[in-house]
Amino acid sequence: MAEMIRKSSVDEIVNHWILAGSCILLMITGYAFLFHVESIGSVLGGFNTMKTVHNWLGVVFVLSLLYSMRHYLRDALEYDADDKQWFKVAGGYLSHKVKVPPMGKYNPGQKLYYLVILVFGIVIAISGFGIWFMKDNMTVMLISHLVHNIAFCVFVIAVPVHIYLGTLANPGTFKIMVSGTMPLSEAKKKHPKWIKSVGKV
Amino acid sequence: MANDITKNRKAILVTPENCIGCRACQVACKSWNQLPGIKTKNNGTYQNPPDLASAAFNIIKFSEVPSQENPVRWLFLSRRCMHCEDAGCMAICPAPGALYRTAEGAVAFDHDKCISCKLCVNACPFDVPRFDEEGKVSKCNLCADRIGAEMQPSCVKTCPTGALKFGDRNELISAAKKEGFATIYGENDLGGLGTIYAFKDKPKLYGMIENPTIPSSVIFWHSYLKPLSLFGLGGVVAAAALHYLAIGPHKEEEEKKEEV
Ligand code: HEM
Ligand code: HEM
Ligand code: SF4
Ligand code: SF4
Ligand code: SF4
Repeated sequence: MAEMIRKSSVDEIVNHWILAGSCILLMITGYAFLFHVESIGSVLGGFNTMKTVHNWLGVVFVLSLLYSMRHYLRDALEYDADDKQWFKVAGGYLSHKVKVPPMGKYNPGQKLYYLVILVFGIVIAISGFGIWFMKDNMTVMLISHLVHNIAFCVFVIAVPVHIYLGTLANPGTFKIMVSGTMPLSEAKKKHPKWIKSVGKV
Repeated sequence: MANDITKNRKAILVTPENCIGCRACQVACKSWNQLPGIKTKNNGTYQNPPDLASAAFNIIKFSEVPSQENPVRWLFLSRRCMHCEDAGCMAICPAPGALYRTAEGAVAFDHDKCISCKLCVNACPFDVPRFDEEGKVSKCNLCADRIGAEMQPSCVKTCPTGALKFGDRNELISAAKKEGFATIYGENDLGGLGTIYAFKDKPKLYGMIENPTIPSSVIFWHSYLKPLSLFGLGGVVAAAALHYLAIGPHKEEEEKKEEV
């Protein structure tokens, strides 16, 4: 057995799956509202229950999102020269021949992804609460409805990219979100600056 | 947004000039649709209730306007759902079947399918949908049950002056034009309304909206955001599949073997 290093704490893993589960269910029920997908509605016992489910999942989602700030926000706000270089080589995703610069705990793609989810997550939640609770204010309703759906478009693009990169595109990464650990040897290669900062070299 | 214009599209033609403000239509509507009475206060006008309500699918709007011959002119305007061809309420509604189009072209509602989100009233150019105690949508459905059985809508049936007429939409329009009415309000607005008005005066005099439109945010959402949310997801899935096949995942195998 290779020596492992902990990348994600237990509460981070639990929170990630609460966030991911609520988000995906929100997206599925969201699509059902948008395109009148009756089969999704009937799984939940009709659109009336689905509305309740969607609304309260929204509460779960936003609480989980706010909690996730303690895990990712500080990293997500720091970028260095290597991160710039990472974008120049497209993270090594468009060719395996380029040299990917040494990374910290997260690559800038992941960091930006986090900021996008955080910002648009808060936006979709606020607009969702607008539709939910401000029914008698036409301006709030129309703006919320528009903004909720703009944010939705961001989610349906960003989330599947994330899922692909977290599974098929980077074999082994998925295990981080299950066990919280990754092989130290691999971490030294992929995240040398992080390993250095935690003193494992 | 448009649905197929049904060949047998029916409409109510309102001729405000012929209306005597008796409000028999208000009573007839309540009676057929079994709507409860509403307690209102006298606020200095015969208009009662003051606006459409969950228990008032139609009202007569009373307005006083300046006149040359008389001290004042008293106008009566029958107001209800317009049964728009391009219905903002139907476009925005997230619950299938809560608002639906009948074979006669009416926009009817299903109390049980409505999820009480109240989006419809915000997308309605005419501020029509109202909500009952349960928050469910409630509005004129053109007496869908009656017209489906070849009867006239209750309000039309009771109207003593012919200010309300019901029938084939095209026939009503050409008849009104023949009678010399200057404006057929709703002939072409929003794809054509199902409640149309024959005016000699300017519709604005009666308080009608000029050029009614669905809010632009709703149109933008319907024509761009909805498709984008589908193509966005589809595009990402396709791009991911393409990436996986053409370029492939990160390979760590070689390095890993050295370290084991
Ligand atoms: C079911 C599908 C999903 C899978 C398989 C998955 C997988 C992963 C994995 C493996 C990581 C760890 C990456 C690393 O530490 O290097 C991760 C991180 C993360 N995931 Fe997910 N995830 C899923 C869904 C979601 C959803 C729906 C959201 C948000 C709405 C989300 C938000 C995040 C965030 C914010 C991180 C932190 C690191 C980053 O910014 O990339 N995940 N995910
Ligand atoms: C990732 C999170 C979310 C996604 C992807 C999402 C998506 C959607 C979509 C696509 C619709 C249908 C749009 C329409 O027809 O108007 C919708 C409706 C709605 N959403 Fe969300 N939503 C999310 C979060 C939330 C949150 C956090 C709330 C509230 C706290 C919320 C409340 C609502 C409400 C109230 C509606 C209107 C329909 C209804 O009343 O059920 N959503 N959502
Ligand atoms: S008038 Fe309003 S409620 Fe009636 S069909 Fe048109 S948009 Fe819908
Ligand atoms: S209140 Fe009812 S009818 Fe109106 S948009 Fe919402 S679900 Fe549809
Ligand atoms: S058509 Fe029927 S529901 Fe509509 S106002 Fe007339 S009586 Fe009422």
